[in-house]
Amino acid sequence: MASTERRSSQLLRGVLDLCLLAVIADDPAYGYEMTKRLRARGLSIVGEGSIYPLLGRLERDGLVETHRAASNGGPPRKYCRASNAGRRALAEGIAEWTSARDGIDVVLGLVEAEVQT
Amino acid sequence: MNRFIEECRREWKRLHVPDAIANEMAADLAADLAEAEAEGASAEDVLGEAVFDARSFAATWAEERGVIAPAPARRDGRTSLPLVVVGAVLLATAIIGAALVVAGRSGSVEAHLAIAPVPRPHVAFFRRPGFGPVARVGRLKLWHAAPPFGQFVVGAPRDDTVAIGFALLIVGLTGSAVMAIMWLTRRARYAPA
Repeated sequence: MASTERRSSQLLRGVLDLCLLAVIADDPAYGYEMTKRLRARGLSIVGEGSIYPLLGRLERDGLVETHRAASNGGPPRKYCRASNAGRRALAEGIAEWTSARDGIDVVLGLVEAEVQT
Repeated sequence: MNRFIEECRREWKRLHVPDAIANEMAADLAADLAEAEAEGASAEDVLGEAVFDARSFAATWAEERGVIAPAPARRDGRTSLPLVVVGAVLLATAIIGAALVVAGRSGSVEAHLAIAPVPRPHVAFFRRPGFGPVARVGRLKLWHAAPPFGQFVVGAPRDDTVAIGFALLIVGLTGSAVMAIMWLTRRARYAPA
């Protein structure tokens, strides 16, 4: 069980930046809001560390644009949205992910077929 | 939650993160944690396992934002190789300088630097070789020398040797001190949480 969780953690770590860019590609969000969007799409990040350092890196790399705006009754929040460079990086990342996933599917699919026969 | 943010603030202060940026990060974090709490979520729901290690979280965040330098020492536990090499050279310089001072002041030593056949120079300290000088170049004397020192020995007058020794000692000690300060600074900067 622990091994499964560890593998899931490692898999997610490699694409969490893409997932973050995906949830703010069209609609800006602040930190906790992004966490909720990820969860709403079935991706729990508990145990994966925080998204804040990753957001910091995306911002530093120019993949995310930020602005401050008032939230619902709360203090002004820092909203993030994928920049043009971020959208390009997201498209490239999705292509890489798809390619890697297809290759892995083929390899693991063969093993599965052998096990069944 | 406030305690977690305070720990982050202390870490950012220790890492010399500019106040404006530290305040911004702390405010964003506080707002997110407050919202999560209001919705019945825990800090762990927001921060994951990072909630158990505020210092590491704060340092990583600041590093990823680019407001502090990366921490290679903290990541892989290795000391910078160039730093080690330079430190070793400076320390060796100080030791050689000290030895020259001692040898030059002893009065019984006249030849101080032995040079083996090129390209294998040696630095050695010994009494005057058994042969007389075969050549003089300014204030330097050249002797034959028996193994293991090689074929020739270059010697300098005692006063010059002491002066050279002091110079090397000062350079070596000063450099070593600077390197030690740099190393301690790096160590403190990248100390694990």
